[in-house]
Amino acid sequence: MPTTLDPSVLDTALFIPDLRTRRKESVLQELVARAHEAGVVREPELLIETLYLRERLGSTAIGKSVAVPHARSIAVIEARVLVARSRRGIEWKAEDELPVQLVFLVITPGEFSIEAHHEWVARAVTFARLQRKRAKLLEATTSEAGATVLREFTA
Amino acid sequence: MNEALALLQLHDLDLLERELADRKAQTRLRRFGLAMVPSNVIERARQRCLESIDPRWLYHYERSNQRYGRGVVAVRDRVCQGCHITLPTSRMPNAAGALTLCEFCGRVLYWA
Repeated sequence: MPTTLDPSVLDTALFIPDLRTRRKESVLQELVARAHEAGVVREPELLIETLYLRERLGSTAIGKSVAVPHARSIAVIEARVLVARSRRGIEWKAEDELPVQLVFLVITPGEFSIEAHHEWVARAVTFARLQRKRAKLLEATTSEAGATVLREFTA
Repeated sequence: MNEALALLQLHDLDLLERELADRKAQTRLRRFGLAMVPSNVIERARQRCLESIDPRWLYHYERSNQRYGRGVVAVRDRVCQGCHITLPTSRMPNAAGALTLCEFCGRVLYWA
């Protein structure tokens, strides 16, 4: 597993500090729309559908108020990790039943192998499991402060 | 559903199905806390896609899928993302979202 990632992988400008919606489906739509605007997704509806299907095969909430939805899709032009935060929490069918407050969306193009895709997922999971990083992200009062924490993701 | 999008969705479903069938991948996902549970949702979605695709495209898709592991690839800057050969301008379709065949590798091409 790589120890560093290209900083472009995680575009901190794509950080959503306060999701307004409380529905998982709407959160995925909002994140994919953001990726589409940034030019890294070509068919947003297709990617949303793939993410919904993945959720139906098992929740992507990993506990401790974190979800890592992920997809390998032909709709993705360039791999990205997008991060969003919800103050109120989102119902995501987590095993620990905690509402999700941090969402790490991992999207990679269809050309990626399963292993390469999972390396990206592993990176997000490892980062999100660190209590210190989670707390910093949740406490960040400005988008810039959140982005500063996320820069450590690629360090 | 439009035919090109149905074919792209079929591609994504096949990737998902392959991930589900890969034991090592499933072990990794369980370790991450992201276990997948086998379900007929993929098969049902697949059937819906198949109804929208012309058998001719389906034939080329399945043939490329068996040969290369992927049935359809995107075209980026006029380059086939399967064999990475630049396609002649004469082969460019008039409208975005069209399907053609790569004359070098035979994969179905999606022109975004």
